[in-house]
Amino acid sequence: MEEVLSKIEDITSDPYTYVAGIKERTEKKIIGCFPMHVPEEIVHAADMIPVVIWRSNESVTWGHAHVPPYDCGITRSFVDDAVRGKLHFMDGMVFHVRQCLQVGEFPLIIERNVKPAYQGILYLPPIYEGEAVKSFLRKDLESFKDSLEDFSGKKISNDSLKNSIEIYNENRSLLQRVYEIRREKPGILRAKDVMRIVWSSMLMLKEDHNELLKELINTMEKKPGGTENDGIKVIPVGCLCQTLQFDFLDMIEDLGMIIPDDDLYVGSRYFANPVHLDGNPIEALADRYLTKTPLCPTKGVWDVHWGDEIIKMLRENKAKGVITIRVKYCPPHTCYYPDFKSKMVEEGVPEVMIDMEHEVISLEGIKTRLQSFAETMGGV
Amino acid sequence: MDVQYKINRLEATNDIRPMVNRHWADLRSAKERGEKVGWASGPSFMFPYAMGMKCHFMAGYASYCGGIGAANDVLKVAEMTGDLPETCSYHRLHMGMAEAVKRDLPVMPEAILPLPDLMVAGRYCTEQSHYAEGLYRRMGIRVVPVELPFVFRKEDRPRIREFVYRQFTEVVIPALEDVCEKSFDYDRLSEILSILKKTATIRNKCWDYFKTKPSTWTLWDYAVSMAPVIYMMGDPAGIPFYEKLLKELEERNEKGIPAMAPEGEKYRIYWDGWIPWAFLGKFMRKFTPNGALCLCGRYPWEMFPHPELLDPEHPVDTVVDYMYGEEAGLAGNMAPKHSIDFISDLIDEYSIDGLVMFSSKSCRMWNLSYLDVIDAIDKKKGIPGVVIEADMIDPDMVSDSQIDTRLEALFETIDGRRRK
Repeated sequence: MEEVLSKIEDITSDPYTYVAGIKERTEKKIIGCFPMHVPEEIVHAADMIPVVIWRSNESVTWGHAHVPPYDCGITRSFVDDAVRGKLHFMDGMVFHVRQCLQVGEFPLIIERNVKPAYQGILYLPPIYEGEAVKSFLRKDLESFKDSLEDFSGKKISNDSLKNSIEIYNENRSLLQRVYEIRREKPGILRAKDVMRIVWSSMLMLKEDHNELLKELINTMEKKPGGTENDGIKVIPVGCLCQTLQFDFLDMIEDLGMIIPDDDLYVGSRYFANPVHLDGNPIEALADRYLTKTPLCPTKGVWDVHWGDEIIKMLRENKAKGVITIRVKYCPPHTCYYPDFKSKMVEEGVPEVMIDMEHEVISLEGIKTRLQSFAETMGGV
Repeated sequence: MDVQYKINRLEATNDIRPMVNRHWADLRSAKERGEKVGWASGPSFMFPYAMGMKCHFMAGYASYCGGIGAANDVLKVAEMTGDLPETCSYHRLHMGMAEAVKRDLPVMPEAILPLPDLMVAGRYCTEQSHYAEGLYRRMGIRVVPVELPFVFRKEDRPRIREFVYRQFTEVVIPALEDVCEKSFDYDRLSEILSILKKTATIRNKCWDYFKTKPSTWTLWDYAVSMAPVIYMMGDPAGIPFYEKLLKELEERNEKGIPAMAPEGEKYRIYWDGWIPWAFLGKFMRKFTPNGALCLCGRYPWEMFPHPELLDPEHPVDTVVDYMYGEEAGLAGNMAPKHSIDFISDLIDEYSIDGLVMFSSKSCRMWNLSYLDVIDAIDKKKGIPGVVIEADMIDPDMVSDSQIDTRLEALFETIDGRRRK
């Protein structure tokens, strides 16, 4: 198990070198997909390698000549990486420009300063009622497919797309299994290892990642884990689009809290919901996008409350509290948060919100808040 | 000796305040008269109007609240009821108002809005959806949302146009029919658009007086006069208002009276982004002593700039084409790449010396890729620009020294280029 985790740590510690290496090894084109909803399967079916764009661990420098300091961490960090040439190995980039306003910053900045050979635009609409939304979504995915075919010179057949979807579904199911084992054996993995495992899925060839996961699951199944009574269980929620600083996760666990599950983007949200492959594959991908849970505040879902979904997750995991991780300057999460908070108060669920900034100034303040949160739940 | 600049105020614009007050008073008392009330974001309010509903418009309400000095108190209500300070200030304003009504909290009586029977949530800006969602979750208000994408590639326009047309006809209109319990009134929509067409045609003649050198009026004069060509559309009072304004501008032009005394402006400025509704006086005091006059901008030019294209005989098509038509569809200008061409045209048309990009810290709708847009325009047109950071209505986000320093830098750059 340590061997697999060590490999994953290497990959996620320097994704730039790793992804550049895949390109060299496979001689395939790399397409950077800005999180969270780009259907990577279509890129994969065009015989190119989709990787999910990430937030670096460096301070933003040149990027501030292009985006304001009050954009979120991944927006500023990605632009910084791009204009500094750190993403030179990406042959193309794809942006879902209606996810939030900040994604709309990218097309011009990237076109003027980076000029990748391919730039894809997706409009993926919010999940509003009416056939018009579904029809527009399907056309949007078709248009994306056509543009990838033009760029790659490879026709994407229904069979090749179905094959890619199957590989991705397998990955989702394997990640699901990792989470199940973690739930059964609390403490078997550190939370940061879990996040690295999911992150590595976003960076690796899915076929390779599937093999790695099988090896990991095999060893996890044999290894003993902790018991349910080892600590107070909490669920981290939020952190849309980007990885969380691992120190945060360590801090939660070092304060005696256990994370049996999560509702994080680089976490369970990434692999939730398989694509149901019983018809046209583009329609199947559209249906997955139209699935309302896990609730994403960028998708305009009205009739499901994020708070209710988290309370369900809490009960399933016998967890006691919720740690909301709000990315600073993330409008979708920021706008939703008051209603989420109200729901937690209404249901008597202990909840604390931590603001996550790209450049963390002091961890001490966060530690104090988490410590008092743990104490209020009867821990530490 | 330094020139002492000051603004020659227009008489005609004094008429707007009573008109606007009347509009909002009418909305406030609508429920007492048994009328249905709508709220709207994005340019979707004309559909409730056509059904005889009294309707609010998101940005229009913010401008009204900012103008009467009510915004800050309402923002505080929003924070008190859970909204975070970095949330879009228009979002906070509306959540604050809804909470004030629901909880009977004291806010300026003139700012009170009745809670709506229906919210038509045009998601032009992605954040415009969030407050509608909040209203639904917190108060059970019925919402009909409409996705209104910016057009990032010209080739995407036809399919987006079709999508938006279908949402209006298949979702918005049936929802209105359901709420109002009657068939949609296409004739009334046509009538509203006919009045708008006449009003905007006269308004465009007024715009010609921004082109004169020196200019005979200022962007701020126009900003406070926009209601008849946007949320008061369909009110015939807009026509005599703009006729009177046009007459005054013609007279000024004949008599050689510039907007800026004593002899006209030193710098002709393009203003991008929202109008700082709650701080118009503050911003005028920053520009005027320097001899700088703001003349045009993308947002103020969003209010039906091409009345000649409005076709009241085909009302739904014309509303959709206003944003997504092949000719001059405005949703294309929202994508930073296409905004460069639009702004460049305004630079030529209005003889602009410099750009001020007003970046709202809480709303990025107009601010996408600002620094690259400025750089691209400088390279293309040789016109410099600066970004100033503030907010439309939230005083906590307005820092004077940062704004002063950047404006000073812009004026020095223009001077430096003139000396070459």
